[in-house]
Amino acid sequence: MSAITTPRVRRGTVRTGITLSRRAGMVFVLPALALFSIFIAYPLLTALSYSFFDWTGIVRGGFVGVENYVTLFTRLPYRDDLPNAFVHNLLLFVGAMVFQNTIGLGLATLLHRIGRFKRFFQTMYTLPYLVSPLVIGYLWSLMLSPLFGPVNAVLRGIGLGELAQPWLGNPQTAIWVVVVVTAWQWIGFPVLLYGAALGGIPQEIDEAASIDGASAWQRFRAITLPMLLPAIGTVSVLTFIGAMEAFPIPYALGGSQGNPAGATDVMSLLFYRTAFESGSSNAIGTSSAIATLLFLFIFGISMLITWFMRRTERKLF
Amino acid sequence: MRRRILTTTALLAGSALLLSACAPSAASGDGAEEGDQVTLKVWSWRTEDVEAYNTIFDVFEEQHPNITVEFEAFQNTEYNQILTTGLAGSDGPDVPMVRAYGQLQPNIEAGQLEPIDGKVDGLDEIAPSVIAGAKGKADGKTYAVPLATQTLQMFYNKAIFDEHGLEVPNTWDEFIEVNEKLLAAGVTPMALGAKDDWILPIFADIIGSARYGGSEFEEKVLAGETDFTDPDYVASLELVTQVQKYLTPDVVGVSYTDSQIQFTSGQAAQFPGGSFEIATFRNQAPDLEFGSYQVPLPDGAVLDAPVSPAYADGNFAVNTKSTHQDEAFELLNWLATPEFGQLVADELNQFSAIPGVEYEDEVMKEAWANYEDGQAPYLLLVDFRYGEPLGTAVLGAEVQKMFLGQTDAAAAAASLQAGISQWFTPGE
Repeated sequence: MSAITTPRVRRGTVRTGITLSRRAGMVFVLPALALFSIFIAYPLLTALSYSFFDWTGIVRGGFVGVENYVTLFTRLPYRDDLPNAFVHNLLLFVGAMVFQNTIGLGLATLLHRIGRFKRFFQTMYTLPYLVSPLVIGYLWSLMLSPLFGPVNAVLRGIGLGELAQPWLGNPQTAIWVVVVVTAWQWIGFPVLLYGAALGGIPQEIDEAASIDGASAWQRFRAITLPMLLPAIGTVSVLTFIGAMEAFPIPYALGGSQGNPAGATDVMSLLFYRTAFESGSSNAIGTSSAIATLLFLFIFGISMLITWFMRRTERKLF
Repeated sequence: MRRRILTTTALLAGSALLLSACAPSAASGDGAEEGDQVTLKVWSWRTEDVEAYNTIFDVFEEQHPNITVEFEAFQNTEYNQILTTGLAGSDGPDVPMVRAYGQLQPNIEAGQLEPIDGKVDGLDEIAPSVIAGAKGKADGKTYAVPLATQTLQMFYNKAIFDEHGLEVPNTWDEFIEVNEKLLAAGVTPMALGAKDDWILPIFADIIGSARYGGSEFEEKVLAGETDFTDPDYVASLELVTQVQKYLTPDVVGVSYTDSQIQFTSGQAAQFPGGSFEIATFRNQAPDLEFGSYQVPLPDGAVLDAPVSPAYADGNFAVNTKSTHQDEAFELLNWLATPEFGQLVADELNQFSAIPGVEYEDEVMKEAWANYEDGQAPYLLLVDFRYGEPLGTAVLGAEVQKMFLGQTDAAAAAASLQAGISQWFTPGE
């Protein structure tokens, strides 16, 4: 056996065979950096700076420090609306997580097992995801209308008349309609992602465990689930961002005020109302403060979920 | 390369010069008066009225041959943003249509509109609660000419009333009786889209304005002699709960558009709403025979005659940055004439803000006559949309809660008072 010399590669650097000076490297990075600065960094920083000023229409007044943020927690309607909307965003996230990691994962596993019609069902489950959420929300609001909607008519038709109710008119049910409709629309997304991840798990491991006498559930717990963790992490972060920024479905179902009586209000609706409908002369200041808070929260928690998932993965493998 | 760019630029500049040289001579060829032809840009959110406005401005252009009016309409929901940007930049409108009351204040505070006091004739003819919609809250100056008035009243389906032998009620007891009879006959007495909160303060005022005292109450509450926890105001909100049984069950689940369909399709006999519904009803159901009435006086009413609450809807103003100030004011003066008012009535099917206008349409004629007999301000819109939270938004959500049984009239009135007292100081 001849000796094979492996080139020593310093940890942390990738050998590509191309040597670039730092300056030349910068030149290649520059176009992307310029685009990023103009279209992402600049608007973000402007919104941040706007939130520290007092505004009169679109004329910027004096620097007011964190007063706009204090307003959000001390003055009506924000004092009441902000926690109310925020809790609804969290409900949306929890609801979506529950649906995606039970029904979504279950469907993906089932689809992975069956060979036939796999593509067909994948497409079917993904279809609602391809329709605009505004349209989805509008369709559901028609279906649930207490006057003309088919949902209550069907319930009455099959003798379940007691269950028929003003789904979107009752604050107790309205928010759950938003949660379920959102989850319903997005169910195709985990089916696709988990499907791809399941396809990436080597069959041999599963077979070996099976020969060793592991039951189907044991194999799922000990092999499939841990190997799916990276996918679950990705789905969680994206779901979190989606839930925190939810706008079109709540808007279509409950209008910009989060009707009835704020029962379907979410953070983006609060932002929308403040920025575009309040008619307040300081609309820019207050709405920028909401936007900044929302961004910081989404950014922070997303980082946290990512960090947590990475740590769990490292422990497993 | 450089040479080619230079050539192109030169060509472009040359043709631009030629074009601009052509423009005035072409205009003067039409027999225009001496002086430059001026084009005024008019902006609006009434995309549905573009043709009507072009007809209206044709009349103006005939009388003012040196002015061409270019009417542009933008999406209603995006208009505020478009206008704010337009007024800030250099190519905005000369004469923009602007919102009324509180929603007008950001443009005034930003110094984007010209004060018009003393520059436009006929402003003192306009009803005070209507011209108030065109004034700056801080300086009291007038900044615009009001376009239209919206009146709030109860619409009813004439065929359904005939079928059940019902008459327009003149007393509160008759009003209750009409609703009871309809209910017993299996017809929804009133269509209301309580899922959309904005319609609810309108409903509360149609039912209860006379109970709390209309303009009399307005004066007192503005002066600080009373507030919304006043027993009369609370009693007016109690009427809303009292008539809830005449609305669709689960009314909070019914959207505004659903309620319009309920009325136009004959499923509901009455529709409490604004005069802006008349055109919609005519479009949705051309055969529908309907009229309107003012809800009669309930027991203990402060006023001694029923009223139609009303408010100004839309104004025309002059952009401070307009380079054609003289012509813009010429147009604004014309917009304040009865001639334009009549065109608003005939072409736009709206109630003009200018007095002395005749209405052809029977329903409009009736609603206007009622309004002239008994006027009141749509209080929460006229006076309580100058700060956050908006009075209309607070009461809208509170009435929803009342319908859902989560709160009562006294608590709703207290919430309204708490909300507006955050920015409203009486006597200012």
